[in-house]
Amino acid sequence: MLIIDLIKDAVFAAIAAIGFGAISRIPRRAYLWCGLIAAIGHSLRFLLMGPVLGSMNIIVATAIAAFVIGSLAVFVSPFARTPAEAYLFPSLLPMIPGIYAYKSFGGAVMCILGRDPERFDFYFRQFTQNGFIVISILMAMVICATIPIFIFRSRAFRATR
Amino acid sequence: MTCTTIPEPFESVYLSDDPLTPVDRQCCSKEVCLFLTEYAERLLGAGATCMRIERNINRMAAVFGKKVEITIMPRHVHMTVWHPGADDIYTYISTVKAAPISYSLNTRLSQLSWNVADDHLTLREAERRFRKIITSDHENPWLTLLLASMANACFCGIFGGDWIAMLIVFIATGAGFNLKQVLASRHVDARVIFFICAFVSAVIGATGYIFPLGDTPAIAVGTSVLYLVPGIPFLNSFNDLLYKHYICAICRFLDALVLTGCLSLGLILAMKIMNVTLF
Repeated sequence: MLIIDLIKDAVFAAIAAIGFGAISRIPRRAYLWCGLIAAIGHSLRFLLMGPVLGSMNIIVATAIAAFVIGSLAVFVSPFARTPAEAYLFPSLLPMIPGIYAYKSFGGAVMCILGRDPERFDFYFRQFTQNGFIVISILMAMVICATIPIFIFRSRAFRATR
Repeated sequence: MTCTTIPEPFESVYLSDDPLTPVDRQCCSKEVCLFLTEYAERLLGAGATCMRIERNINRMAAVFGKKVEITIMPRHVHMTVWHPGADDIYTYISTVKAAPISYSLNTRLSQLSWNVADDHLTLREAERRFRKIITSDHENPWLTLLLASMANACFCGIFGGDWIAMLIVFIATGAGFNLKQVLASRHVDARVIFFICAFVSAVIGATGYIFPLGDTPAIAVGTSVLYLVPGIPFLNSFNDLLYKHYICAICRFLDALVLTGCLSLGLILAMKIMNVTLF
């Protein structure tokens, strides 16, 4: 069952990455690489957070997966002669913590619109708790994905040569 | 610097065709500055990071025998070009026009900078190729529409939506993204576009609630607007942050935040009208 879930997840992530690559107009020759990087990155996070590898914390798992995505992007970019940045966003997007963001946003809205003052504490807690998780995941994800570009600067910027 | 002959007739914006002008005028700081400013402005508009812009500019300036200092602001590019050891210095500030993010343009402009460096292109030849690149950046809008709709539908699958929810998201994204393309071609303000498209997509995404379809209507509503998330400005802002371009980083971040706010407003309004409560 885990294998099927993993493959399904990887395929969805790959199609999603290609589509979002198309929105940001990456060159066509980069589509395949983009899908591949996203599939590897997202499956890695799926595995890290699964019971097999000890149900890792979502923030740490995302950071590791993002670092792998960034490194792969720098490594692959010379083959498709495309800047490494082009692969990052489409591959990272499936890892955006949408559910947490909604809960946090919903908490904020209910703090303002809610009529029952007794529930305010509950909604405020929902807003801050989920908000902290969203911000930590986003920061970890973006910084860890960008660091490889700084480490392998010369490779990353020679990609289009 | 030696100059090769130009293979085809070409009208330069920066260089005069005055036959008395010596060929070496190509090395005048003014023309190099005007060219590099427009190049930087296009690259910034296409969604390049400050780090890439600086590197590409310095790479080309070195070939033309110039030194460059550049300030990149979110709406302006401020550049000074001078000739080392000569009394020839020029400064120019140019306003960046709003342009859609295009990694294809980014790639080809970066390639141009390497071509200039490796093949020692003249300024005139570099400009000719530059004009060709910026006028031929076209994508098939229908293919993009199809891929974007499929991508968002797959997102719905990743977040645990069932097949019906994925179909609803596919239709919602198709309608919203097509509207985005139409509004963008009419030069409507990006914030208005984000608000309207989020509203339309969320209203269609809420179909699963109105007619009880599938088991995961909440995921469909939530995912239907995700194609609008301005991820590249967010990523670029962190890249600039690590490269110590703090002002540019903060501005890009705020820009993305404002767009996210507009899309959230559209989503809330749609949920209010459709009487959907996610929270």
